[in-house]
Amino acid sequence: MAPPTPPDDQNAEKKQNPWVQVGRYSQLALMLPAGTVVGWLAGSALDRWLHTSWISIVGLFLGITAGMIELIRTVLRDTK
Amino acid sequence: MPEQLWFTEILNHLFAGPVTAFLHVLRITPKHPEAPIPNSFAMELLVFGFLLTLFLLLRSRLSVESPGGLQHSFEAVEGFVVGQSREIIGHHSEPYTPFFTIVFIFILVCNLIGLIPGFESPTGVPVVPLGCAICAFLYYHTQGFKHAGPKYLLHFFGPPMEGMSIWARIPLAILMLPIELVSHFARLLSLTVRLWANIFAGDLITLVFFSMIPIAIPIIFMGLHIVVAILQAYVFMLLSIIYVSGAVAEEH
Repeated sequence: MAPPTPPDDQNAEKKQNPWVQVGRYSQLALMLPAGTVVGWLAGSALDRWLHTSWISIVGLFLGITAGMIELIRTVLRDTK
Repeated sequence: MPEQLWFTEILNHLFAGPVTAFLHVLRITPKHPEAPIPNSFAMELLVFGFLLTLFLLLRSRLSVESPGGLQHSFEAVEGFVVGQSREIIGHHSEPYTPFFTIVFIFILVCNLIGLIPGFESPTGVPVVPLGCAICAFLYYHTQGFKHAGPKYLLHFFGPPMEGMSIWARIPLAILMLPIELVSHFARLLSLTVRLWANIFAGDLITLVFFSMIPIAIPIIFMGLHIVVAILQAYVFMLLSIIYVSGAVAEEH
């Protein structure tokens, strides 16, 4: 039987090289605008489908929130 | 008639009829029925053919006793990707490394092919990075499902809240569902835009400086383009690894 190993995520968090950090943070730079655009696009599509005009605004805010949540999650994970 | 590279011209000359007929079956009307294959698709096919030939050649010459230069190079690339994925995903990363390796090599060759006169980078056209991003997107969700089964869907309801009552969890999960969905689709967009914008801008800068000062100066920008090409292929691969590690993490 193989010896028990510590959870892999913990290992990954402990020793991350700077390039991995660069990858993570470069993702964040685009995550906020991308989340906003995707939220707005999804809302606009729903607006067009349901003949309404408010879902795109909700989608926009959801997109901004999603981007912010992703940002906070990454920062919290890396500052643990 | 669109502006075509020599390779696209050959493909359109040979396959324009069948491709247009196939597109009609799919109810797509090509803008130019006499040249339905765009440069980006032709270049992708060329890269695919080149890599396939290279790998077949490599396969036929594999040797443990006296590995050649090509084998050494690919072993180095493979070792690098294995190291990166092990660092991020952990010790169970081996099944995923072939995907990451091929994503890295394919995008790298696509980025670099534009430096050869008579060719252009397919990744400088948004549909190609989008295709690569869709592959990565489908791959990490498939691996998530394979790893956790239907429990993987819990990823879309936000992080697990230890000690919170079920009545508080349900409204929070309903609120988190659209946010998580947007967040996942935003990854698709961010992967696409990053790769496309960098390669498009690199090509454009080289072209602009080449048209202004055709001697020496463009070489500097071509060098910069090589660095950007390698870096962007690496970042795309790295983000794919990060997304897979999130999908196969034991959170729930």
